[in-house]
Amino acid sequence: MTATPDTGQRRRTSDSRPVITDLIDEDTILAVAGDAWISLVGEDEVLVPIPGDLPFDVVSSWVDVVGPWTGSVVLTTGRATAEALSRALLRESAPEVLEDEDVEDAFGEIANVVGGSIKAALPGPSALSLPQVGHAPLVRNPADVCRVEVLWRGEPLTLSVQGALPPLPVSH
Amino acid sequence: MKILIADDSRVMRQIVIRTLRQAGYDDHDIVEAEDGADALAKAGSESPDLILSDWNMPNMSGIECLQALRAQGSSVPFGFVTSEGSAEMREKAANAGALFLIAKPFTADTFNEHLDGVIA
Repeated sequence: MTATPDTGQRRRTSDSRPVITDLIDEDTILAVAGDAWISLVGEDEVLVPIPGDLPFDVVSSWVDVVGPWTGSVVLTTGRATAEALSRALLRESAPEVLEDEDVEDAFGEIANVVGGSIKAALPGPSALSLPQVGHAPLVRNPADVCRVEVLWRGEPLTLSVQGALPPLPVSH
Repeated sequence: MKILIADDSRVMRQIVIRTLRQAGYDDHDIVEAEDGADALAKAGSESPDLILSDWNMPNMSGIECLQALRAQGSSVPFGFVTSEGSAEMREKAANAGALFLIAKPFTADTFNEHLDGVIA
């Protein structure tokens, strides 16, 4: 039996995977988020694509997408802005004092809706996780990130669609 | 008419109820369920005329709830209101016996498109 030399070609081909910027762009994220805001936050609520400096005290909400592309759809904003968003979603049923649970529910649901629309724009089949709220997942591969910065009611918010996997080794 | 709304997010249940009202369906009894298992139990105890359910929920998903209902012989009208709006999920929903799938984000017009003729 003659051994076939391993050129590495087959491994490199099978290991190739798309990065998020091959699949969606900033305009798609902005359009998806804009629709979510109109539906959930209010008809007159707009996201302005202008960068702003996030405050020190931030909170993130995200959902994970697992499929041909695997990663997270992450919203990050100041804690006070997350509370304002939660009040906007709850409207007349917002309690006088918001509990952490209310913010987790509302801010998480925005990530769920934005993430579901992003998932639908990606190649499938994919699975969507339940939303989580807390410290954002780490960026494992800076080349596998599509990020937009917006202002809502003048307050900064970022939307990051970021891969969960580290970069592939570079073949020489 | 009694409508059972199943979603693990309390705020989303409020938004669905609000959107039903905005779409003109404001004279109905609403029952809420916080996951698929709760919805399955309340489908039995409350005898709703329509179930509007999220897809991804802890304990029991919306599709598992629908499959359990059909396995029990229930033919209660069932529609999804979910962030899962891909063609693949729509096909799964239809194959399991769902009447429609409303993808989040939605508007009152989206509700009218799917619910006129379903809600009396």
